[in-house]
Amino acid sequence: MKNRQNQNRDMLQKGVVFAIIIIFIMAIGFHEIAASLTSRIFNVDVRRGSIAEVRFMMVFFGLYAFLTGWSNSGEEGSPAKKILHGLIVSVIAGLIVVLFDLILLFLTRNEIDIRAYLTAFSIESMNYFLFNKNQFGLLYHFGFFTVFGFAGCALKVLLNSASAQNIKERISNFFKNTLNKINGAMPPFLPKYGKYILLLLVIAAAIILPRTWGSYINFVVGLVGLYVIAGIGLNIIVGLSGQLVLGYAAFFAMGAYSVALLNAPEPHNIMLGFWPSIIIAIFMAILAGLLLGIPLMGLRGDYLAIVTLGFGEIIRILLKSDLLVDLTGGPRGINDIHGPTLFGRPFSSDIDFVYIIFACIALTIFVYNRLQNSRTGRAWLSIKEDAIAAQATGVNLRRYKLLALCIGAAFAGLVGGISAARNQFTGPNDHSLLVSMNVLSLVIVGGVNSIPGIILGAFALKGLPEILREVQTYRQLAFGILLIVMMIMRPKGLWPASRPEYEQYEDSNASVKNPRREKK
Amino acid sequence: MTDLIIETNEVSKTFGGLTAVNSVDLEIERGAIYAIIGPNGAGKTTLFNCISGFYTPEEGEILFHGNPIQGFTTDFISSQGISRTYQNIRLFHNLTAIENIMVGQHARLETAWWDAVFSTSRFKKENVKSKEDAFYWLDFVGLKGYGDYLASNLPYGMQRRLELARALASNPELILLDEPTAGMNPQETDEMMAFIRSIREKLEKSIILIEHDMRVVMGISDKISVLDYGRKIAEGSPKDIQANERVIEAYLGPGGAALAKKYQDRKRKNINA
Amino acid sequence: MTTEEKSSPIKQRDLGKIIRPIFGALVAAFVLWRLYIVFIIEAKYGPQVWVSLLISGLIIGAVYSLIAIGYTLVYGILLMINFAHGELMMVGTFAGYFILEAAQAIKTPTAANPDLVFANAYPVLTIFLAFMVGMVVAAAVGYFLEKIAYRPLRGAPRLIPLISAIGASYVLQNISLLLFSPQLRNYDNPDALSRGDGWKLIINELPVNIPYTGVFTLVLSVVLMLVLLYIVKNTRLGKSMRAVAMDKNTAALMGINVNQTISNTFIISGLLAGAAGVMWGLHNAQVYNTVGFIPGIKAFTAAVFGGIGNIGGAMIGGMVIGMIESIGPTALGISYQLKDVIAFAILISVLIFKPSGILGEVLAEEKV
Repeated sequence: MKNRQNQNRDMLQKGVVFAIIIIFIMAIGFHEIAASLTSRIFNVDVRRGSIAEVRFMMVFFGLYAFLTGWSNSGEEGSPAKKILHGLIVSVIAGLIVVLFDLILLFLTRNEIDIRAYLTAFSIESMNYFLFNKNQFGLLYHFGFFTVFGFAGCALKVLLNSASAQNIKERISNFFKNTLNKINGAMPPFLPKYGKYILLLLVIAAAIILPRTWGSYINFVVGLVGLYVIAGIGLNIIVGLSGQLVLGYAAFFAMGAYSVALLNAPEPHNIMLGFWPSIIIAIFMAILAGLLLGIPLMGLRGDYLAIVTLGFGEIIRILLKSDLLVDLTGGPRGINDIHGPTLFGRPFSSDIDFVYIIFACIALTIFVYNRLQNSRTGRAWLSIKEDAIAAQATGVNLRRYKLLALCIGAAFAGLVGGISAARNQFTGPNDHSLLVSMNVLSLVIVGGVNSIPGIILGAFALKGLPEILREVQTYRQLAFGILLIVMMIMRPKGLWPASRPEYEQYEDSNASVKNPRREKK
Repeated sequence: MTDLIIETNEVSKTFGGLTAVNSVDLEIERGAIYAIIGPNGAGKTTLFNCISGFYTPEEGEILFHGNPIQGFTTDFISSQGISRTYQNIRLFHNLTAIENIMVGQHARLETAWWDAVFSTSRFKKENVKSKEDAFYWLDFVGLKGYGDYLASNLPYGMQRRLELARALASNPELILLDEPTAGMNPQETDEMMAFIRSIREKLEKSIILIEHDMRVVMGISDKISVLDYGRKIAEGSPKDIQANERVIEAYLGPGGAALAKKYQDRKRKNINA
Repeated sequence: MTTEEKSSPIKQRDLGKIIRPIFGALVAAFVLWRLYIVFIIEAKYGPQVWVSLLISGLIIGAVYSLIAIGYTLVYGILLMINFAHGELMMVGTFAGYFILEAAQAIKTPTAANPDLVFANAYPVLTIFLAFMVGMVVAAAVGYFLEKIAYRPLRGAPRLIPLISAIGASYVLQNISLLLFSPQLRNYDNPDALSRGDGWKLIINELPVNIPYTGVFTLVLSVVLMLVLLYIVKNTRLGKSMRAVAMDKNTAALMGINVNQTISNTFIISGLLAGAAGVMWGLHNAQVYNTVGFIPGIKAFTAAVFGGIGNIGGAMIGGMVIGMIESIGPTALGISYQLKDVIAFAILISVLIFKPSGILGEVLAEEKV
């Protein structure tokens, strides 16, 4: 039982934290975006560019207050005590926000414009935060925190109470029973052929859909697809063999510039053709991997990370420099890269590229699956788990680490090459540190060593921001926060991987299998 | 003359100013169960690490079947036929038990990554055999049915056995066991002793072990070496070591050794009386 | 085991032992060739150029040293690269900027000078405040950084805190971007410490400028470094830091509050980084959200160069990297654009040839 002093300090701390979060949201200007998002969720037509009406700001604020109460219901004691705990935290948060509001009021009243320093603190923005009700905005804020905080807290306590638990259990049992009945009722042949039917459906979709859903979606799907391939490639290096490489974009550059330099009128006008160039692109990327890897395979993990980061930056600076302008086109990049042709006909519409990318994804997944469930894959994982023990068990560290690096680089070269041809342009900034970090983030957040996880991560990283236009500016911040939060709460990723099963079991009871493969 | 599987000649290992192993000579015969004992800090694990290749001794040489192996990488030494287990278990925690054993087979397998990607016939054949062997070892250490458990989810005793299975999977001639019964209760210890004996009898392997549990040491060793402060102070059969005054002094100190002598004499008098 | 397998040991040994000397010879040949061309063939730079470059090298080296010490302290104690450390410097730069802006905005008119502002009326106080605030804010951010992003991951395998650090770096950079907008800002120095002014040294009948801001930076850095050395060697705080770095568990058993010590380490590294940030602003003027990134990497290079975990090594490493970066492009006849490449190249070279650094690492040993 926490003593009174600790509990009080705890409540104070939580109140402060939640207050700071909402103040921070205001300070980076997110409150306007959040209100726009809220209005979109409630499906009200908001002309693009205008700020949503004040009531949506209120809704957003109310939701936040509700969340404050919900997250802070007490842990011990009677239900009344728990609700009181949450209420006190909300009230404390409310008070602090009111103090902040006083500052805002002072600024708006005196028409002080500090936009030069803090961009979100324009007069309109500050007023908007106060619901355009000036000094009454303070009362609104405090009221919201109190009322909605109480509501959130009370609801959580209610849902967790004993009687509620009963109801929850009955509902989940009901669902489980229905599911089992459906499972049992299925015709017996379906599970066996189910896999193949599913595969056929997927292939059919992959062929038909790109022709129907329009150019823009093709672009996005293609982009996500390329990131999936890149993610799997990086996963071989980071997830399977455990080497943290932060300069992955350097290998993209190798691939992209190979295709570009061999297929553009400037600077060299070689026009080799897409398909041979891709082979060369992959080869160049592998070469770069060897050059980077051979001297550096002995480095420990964090050093390797920084060195590969440095390497990526070196490549980018060199490509951008005047020194190599004649060779690489300098900061302006390479334009007008010609696309692939198939049997003489041009094969470079957006639909065709999506087909190419789909085919490459299939190839990548195929190769990855074969590798990770083989002697090579297990050797990699053993290096990742405990390199010293792995070496003592007979694994040649250098050889396998280099192998992982080169195979990962090969995939990156493939992606770079396709990307250059698809965009018909490539330049030094296409291969910056940001790109490397993006790929790393999507692998980590999606789920290391997990194909569905990586697909999920690629979609979240590249697909979602296209759909949720409003949050573009906050994308990187969100990803940074996501990385930290994921590492603390769910380091295995959104869709964790599991190891293959080898033993045959007489009973196919699912609950027996689960404890083995999930880490406790 | 019996075949010497391991011979160390004046092996010394220093760390900075500290001499952990000081000119140690060992002769270990093939097929023996050989124990290295000594008080804490005597240099036993360091010596082990020298033999298994983790450290390179500053002086001296280590011969395996008469060929020097000091200074080579641990994966090379493993491929020559020497395996080991660890004092603090070093399994691959996020791999399943059977996969841990399969990694143990690594040095004995030949297929490369392209075999895996293209699923060549060589790959398929080797895969089948390796799976069979892995399950054999799983069964041999008594972990049948636990093959798909993640190594980290196994209880402590099973983890130790799994580590042993991993060491056996590469079909070594010599196995180094670092405190194999640490943390075990008497029943588990007996089982482990039986295991070790069966490894020598059934599989005809040689074993070197570090142990603190004297029941185990005296119970299964053919020959024992005692280290103290990096030097070998005694060598012989269990009976010789038990009676050796220097050994007792090393463990119990001079006061304790005197006390032990007193009790020994008293016991002898009682027996004769 | 047949004797033919014994003949493979040469392959089993360090492949690096063959690659490294070749690589080293190539690098050395390149450097010597370039030096030969610049010094002997073209020889167009008089000594005043070199002195001027040396001076700016020292100055930037001092800044790198301060940041490098922070890296090395954190790595020594937690065995992790604090990726977000460069951002602590950025925080210091911004904080100092705002103080200066405020000082330039507050009017303190006198009879003689009706337009006088606080910054010029009390330049010493202004600078002092700028440093104080910069250092304290950076230290606070460092403290919370550790508490939020690193402490929950204390026992985790090395990759995980590293990724969290990358995330933290991103977060800090973007918060700064979102709060303050991408606008490029410049420090508005008080007149007393105006950028560009300095003592003039005449060499070869040509003037070499020794900037006031530069001297100030150098002197202050040295003072801070000496203070740090004193703290580490002679105070209880320093002793606990060294103890925790050597063996966390034993230190805890000896009664040292490990969490507190680690927090203190972050605070100290934040103080130093914040000071470096303000110095950067005073001397280089620029304030933008990614200002800490490249100096951070170079400072890390310096820390590794001198031996990670080794404070003296970080100091020397910073100076050396600063000077090589300053003199390098001119001495090797390479375009100035590539000066960052030089720092990275040094990093890679050090890690290939002497990963434990020039003065040797000071780290806890990994036990087998």
